[in-house]
Amino acid sequence: MAGGPPKALPSTGPHSLRDMPHPLAGSSSEEAVGGDSTPSPDLLMARSFGDKDLILPNGGTPAGTSSPASSSSLLNRLQLDDDIDGETRDLFVIVDDPKKHVCTMETYITYRITTKSTRVEFDLPEYSVRRRYQDFDWLRSKLEESQPTHLIPPLPEKFVVKGVVDRFSEEFVETRRKALDKFLKRITDHPVLSFNEHFNVFLTAKDLNAYKKQGIALLTRMGESVKHVTGGYKLRTRPLEFAAIGDYLDTFALKLGTIDRIAQRIIKEEIEYLVELREYGPVYSTWSTLEGELAEPLEGVSACIGNCSTALEELTDDMTEDFLPVLREYILYSDSMKSVLKKRDQVQAEYEAKLEAVALRKEDRPKVPADVEKCQDRMECFNADLKADMERWQNNKRQDFRQLLMGMADKNIQYYEKCLMAWESIIPLLQEKQEAKDS
Amino acid sequence: MEQAPPDPEPQLQPAPLEPLGCSDAGLGAAVGKEAAGAGEEDSGVDTMTHNNFWLKKIEISVSEAEKRTGRNAMNMQETYTAYLIETRSVEHTDGQSVLTDSLWRRYSEFELLRNYLLVYYPHIVVPPLPEKRAEFVWHKLSADNMDPDFVERRRIGLENFLLRIASHPILCRDKIFYLFTQEGNWKETVNETGFQLKADSRLKALNATFRVKNPDKRFTDLKHYSDELQSVISHLLRVRARVADRLYGVYKVHGNYGRVFSEWSAIEKEMGDGLQSAGHHMDVYASSIDDILEDEEHYADQLKEYLFYAEALRAVCRKHELMQYDLEMAAQDLASKKQQCEELATGTVRTFSLKGMTTKLFGQETPEQREARIKVLEEQINEGEQQLKSKNLEGREFVKNAWADIERFKEQKNRDLKEALISYAVMQISMCKKGIQVWTNAKECFSKM
Repeated sequence: MAGGPPKALPSTGPHSLRDMPHPLAGSSSEEAVGGDSTPSPDLLMARSFGDKDLILPNGGTPAGTSSPASSSSLLNRLQLDDDIDGETRDLFVIVDDPKKHVCTMETYITYRITTKSTRVEFDLPEYSVRRRYQDFDWLRSKLEESQPTHLIPPLPEKFVVKGVVDRFSEEFVETRRKALDKFLKRITDHPVLSFNEHFNVFLTAKDLNAYKKQGIALLTRMGESVKHVTGGYKLRTRPLEFAAIGDYLDTFALKLGTIDRIAQRIIKEEIEYLVELREYGPVYSTWSTLEGELAEPLEGVSACIGNCSTALEELTDDMTEDFLPVLREYILYSDSMKSVLKKRDQVQAEYEAKLEAVALRKEDRPKVPADVEKCQDRMECFNADLKADMERWQNNKRQDFRQLLMGMADKNIQYYEKCLMAWESIIPLLQEKQEAKDS
Repeated sequence: MEQAPPDPEPQLQPAPLEPLGCSDAGLGAAVGKEAAGAGEEDSGVDTMTHNNFWLKKIEISVSEAEKRTGRNAMNMQETYTAYLIETRSVEHTDGQSVLTDSLWRRYSEFELLRNYLLVYYPHIVVPPLPEKRAEFVWHKLSADNMDPDFVERRRIGLENFLLRIASHPILCRDKIFYLFTQEGNWKETVNETGFQLKADSRLKALNATFRVKNPDKRFTDLKHYSDELQSVISHLLRVRARVADRLYGVYKVHGNYGRVFSEWSAIEKEMGDGLQSAGHHMDVYASSIDDILEDEEHYADQLKEYLFYAEALRAVCRKHELMQYDLEMAAQDLASKKQQCEELATGTVRTFSLKGMTTKLFGQETPEQREARIKVLEEQINEGEQQLKSKNLEGREFVKNAWADIERFKEQKNRDLKEALISYAVMQISMCKKGIQVWTNAKECFSKM
């Protein structure tokens, strides 16, 4: 699958991608590890999550399993620093080299996950393991369980309708690989999630299945406490800022859905246009067989149309493979964000209910009971985590969409440039005999 | 009559558009050559005495189209379009043109003119008229004859038709053509020529096609070519219309991006401006297709002209077949009469004849009767031989003249179609450049998101 000719980096236009602040673009280590993966714009997209990332000012203290008193203090230690460059990264993960495995019971694809890290949590500086989609799915549920206050990146869709999509076709596998790569990179770039124990195991364990079976539930304190929140509380009103987030996400998902439909429609129309072009070109060829002097010009036009058809096919393939999946990912992303918001509402609801219950008891307690305090704590942590994640998400979203849309524009520019070249090259052919005749 | 040598450029430059194809054998050139006495296109005919209604270089144009209502032959109200034909004479010294004639004619009158030319110049590949009804339309294009775009394209086509005739070395000299551009009772005049009666019936022509024994191979090949040409250009036009339809769809759907980007930009802070302005470029992109496809219709019209020219080529071939068949029939008739004569003279009856039958039934004829019959036959044979001679001569003249015009036509066709292909390529190049421009602008907007 991986053996394709490298796609050239688009170089047209006043703002080439090289001008963009992508420190990882030049990162040779990842490309070396990546093997045949090519520096195409979509990989750059995937890497974009890194550069607007958080940096832990003290070189990084993992938030997950160790001891900070609460996540809110953790938040104080995390600073959003916009001027990050790749040199301060200490964890690199890449997904590549899909392979098909044929067993008696089933056939499936695995992907190679290569990790390089200087973090103390990793015993070795480098790891290479093979994982299948199931494993990613497992990882995601574990993360959701153990880090409920955080936004977990989405996975590409699990189920594909058999017969409609070929699960083992090159295009499908490549699209999925890119999405899985992005999934891991987003976790890698997250200051809290990247230190999660499950994530570590996923990246390093030789036998993941054994680990899964052990059923080790390494919940963070936060995870554990949120787990106990019963679903019975109903929130009266969402605070304004979270309501605003909720509204934003609703509209955002709606607009993305529309864009997805438009993009699909365009591809469909382009494919139908392509079908007609493939019939159109050869008619000029047929005509040229009838003619004498006009034979060459007509044949030239036929070849030209053929070249344009090929260029168009490349455009539609690119859009299908690179553009649509990213859009859909973001729709999934906003869906998971919305469920995190709902969980937050639950936590707030519980707190408010308990607080009300205390107030109604009419006891003159000067101090709020411990369990109510715990609830308050929980709520405040959740709010803080969510706000931090939302802001990070907004930044990354902006980067991603800038890349995505510039990429779309680029593909169209390239298509027109190919066609332009084809037509410009036959003008001399069409004119030449005429000049020879006149002379 | 001293005149300046013909200009190298085509003499006829109507306003505002150029003819669909250019011809060097312009009307002015013909006039110039006549004055100088050169007449290479007239193969020996004394040019000084040949018809020349055009005293000066002229410009012909079909400059306007107008919707009219009137009453038709059955006294029912009808709507039709009338076209303004203007003739300007050009002073060759200063290039100024002066309007000499202008009158309105409708499509059916153009048809009448063409049918007349077909009858009187069967050896000429007569320029075709633009289509009567819109064909090869794609969905956005109207098939309505009254649609202004169709009327405009037809106006151009009719102008081109007149220019083609005016630039034809032989046709331009026709009186009926001259009168067509002048006020007067043209319809009556053309009908008085009785050309409709002189027209060969279709049935006769079809019959000839099947029965002719020795057609000229060149004409057979030409007929074959014109059939194939017609078929391939039809196919091309059909597919091109479908291609246009699809391309239209692609561009127009992009317009939806404009709206959704605008809506999306409303909920974004930093991304908003970039999205909004990119959306505007998407709108520009979507609306650019209308002009692009309008230009392409011009190309389609150039192809259509040659599609119809194929029919004109076939008409010449048909005429040849008819003449050939006629000749063969006359020769056959003559041969049989000669044989009859011989039989009567020698007394042998080799062939079955009615006379032979009646003789058997009603008795022998007298020697005087036989003599009389022989005499009649001999007269007929004489006549027949004369006729055959003249038919042969006619046939050879026809072939020579037709082939000369066909060669002229081939050169014209190659020139015109090459130009058409070049202009098509230029259109495509322009479309690509526009596309690059728009997407580059959009990309810049995205980069500012």
